[in-house]
Amino acid sequence: MKSKIITAIVALVIVALMGWGYYSSAQHRAHGHTSELNPKETIFEHLGDAYGWEVPFNHSVRIPLPIIVWGQDGLHCFMSNRITGGETYDGFKISTSEEHHGKVVQVMDDGSEVRPWDFSITKNVAGIFIAALLVIGMVMALKRWYVRNGMKAPRGGKGFLELVVDFVYGDTIRPILGKHAPKYAPYLLTAFFFILTMNLLGLIVIFPGGANLTGNIAVTLVLAVLTFLITTFSGTREYWKEIFWPEVPMALKCPVPMMQLIEVLGMFTKPLALMVRLFANMMSGHMVVLVLVLLIFIFTNLFGVGVGVGTSVFSVAFTLFMLLLDVLVSFIQAYVFTILSTIFISMALVEPHHKEA
Amino acid sequence: MELFTPEFGLVFWMFLAFVCLYFILAKWAWPFIIKSMEERADLIDKGVAYAQEAKSHLDNAKAEADKLIAEARNQQADILREASKMRNELIEKARGEAADEANKVSQAAQVSLEQARKEAEKQLRTEVGDLALQIAEKVIRKNIASDDAQRALVDQYLSEVETKN
Repeated sequence: MKSKIITAIVALVIVALMGWGYYSSAQHRAHGHTSELNPKETIFEHLGDAYGWEVPFNHSVRIPLPIIVWGQDGLHCFMSNRITGGETYDGFKISTSEEHHGKVVQVMDDGSEVRPWDFSITKNVAGIFIAALLVIGMVMALKRWYVRNGMKAPRGGKGFLELVVDFVYGDTIRPILGKHAPKYAPYLLTAFFFILTMNLLGLIVIFPGGANLTGNIAVTLVLAVLTFLITTFSGTREYWKEIFWPEVPMALKCPVPMMQLIEVLGMFTKPLALMVRLFANMMSGHMVVLVLVLLIFIFTNLFGVGVGVGTSVFSVAFTLFMLLLDVLVSFIQAYVFTILSTIFISMALVEPHHKEA
Repeated sequence: MELFTPEFGLVFWMFLAFVCLYFILAKWAWPFIIKSMEERADLIDKGVAYAQEAKSHLDNAKAEADKLIAEARNQQADILREASKMRNELIEKARGEAADEANKVSQAAQVSLEQARKEAEKQLRTEVGDLALQIAEKVIRKNIASDDAQRALVDQYLSEVETKN
C-alpha cells in the first residue's frame, strides 16, 4: 500500500517534470534561442570543470565561486558571476579560443590571451572541499561516539561507517601490512573515505554533488602521486636491491640493464595504473549516463516529440540502472584504490626472504 | 584533450585538501577509532571466552555441590558418633568414680562405727563392773575381806558373760 503510493508520487513527479521540460524547451525556441544541440560539447562540459556551479532547471544562473588568479600584474580575486556570462572583468575573461577553451585567461593589450596561474575555487575544487568536510564530519562523528559511549557499539549510520572502517582496516590493511598497519592505516583509510565520498557526491546531480571529481585526472593524479611517494619513501633495502640488482641471470642485468629498466618502469606504472583506473572508471560511468540522457534530445531532434517520449522511458530506466551500478562502482573503485595502495606499500616493505627459501 | 591534462589549480587544491584532511584525521580520528574498535573486539572475544568458562563452571557446580554435601554429611555422622562415644565414656567414668567414693565412705563409716562400739563396750564394761562391784560390795560387805581377790573374780565372770553374748 505504502509502496504503491510512493510509486504513484514518483511517477507523477517524473511526468510533471517531463511536461515542464518540454514546455520550457518550447518557450526557449519561441524566444529565438535555437541553439544547436552539440552532444560532444555537452558531454565534455558536464565531465569537465567549471567556474560557478549550475542549479537545476536554469541555464544562466550559477552559484558564483571565487576566482583567484595570479596574472602578469599580480593577484586578482573576484566572484565567478562577473565573467561566466562571457564578460571581461579586470582584464580577465573565460576564453572561447581553441587553445584555452573554457578557462580563465588574461587579455593582453595586443588582444592575445595568456593563461594566468589559476588558483580559482572552481566547481571541482569546491566539490573537493565539500567532500573533505563531509569526510571529517562523518569520521569525527564516529570518533565522538567512541569518546562518549566507550565500548558500546554504534548504531545506525555510525554503525555502517564502523562496518566499512572494519572492512577496510580489519579485513584488508591489517592482514596485508601486519605490524606496519597502524603506521599506514591513516593514509589508506583517509584515501578510501575521501575517494568514496567524492565518487558518491559525483552521482548526485544537484548542488552539493554533481562535480565529476574522481573522473578528473588531476584528482586521481594527486592520490596516485601520494601513494607513489609513500611507497618510495618506505622502501626497504631489499626493495631497492630487488629493483637495481634483482636475482636474475647475469646476462639480464649486467652489460645491458634490462631488468633494472623494467623494474624502474614498474615503479611508475603501478601508481599510473591506480590513477588511470579510478579516473577511467568514474568518468566512463558519468559519460554513459550523460549519453543515455542525451539520447532523448538527439531522438527528439531527429524524429520529433513522440519518439523522444518513448526514448525517455527507455533512457531513464537505463540511467537509473547505470547510476545504481555506479554506486557499486564507487565502492569498488575506492576499495580497489585502497587495496592496491596497501599492496604496493607492503611490497615496498619487503624483507629479505632468501634464507627461508 | 582537455580531459586528460591535469589542471594545475585543481592539483594544487586537491593536494592541499587531501593533506589537511590526512593530518586532521590521522591526528585526531583514525588512531582513536582503530584503537576503540580493537579494544571492543578484544572485549567481545574475552567476553565469549569468559561466558564459555562460566558455563562449564556452572555445569560442574552442581556435581561439586553434591560432592560437598555428601562430604558434609559424612563428617556430621562422624562427629555425632564420636560425641556419643565420648558421652558414654564420660558417664562410665563418672559412674565408676562415684561407686569408688561411695565404697570409701561406707568403709570409713563402718570403721568409725566399730570404734564407737568398742569404746561403748569398754565404757559399759567399766560401768557394769563398777556397778556389779558396788552391788556385790553391798551384798557381801561383811564376808569379803580382800577387795582385790573379789574384784578379779567379778572381772572373770564378766568376761564369761561377755563371751556368752
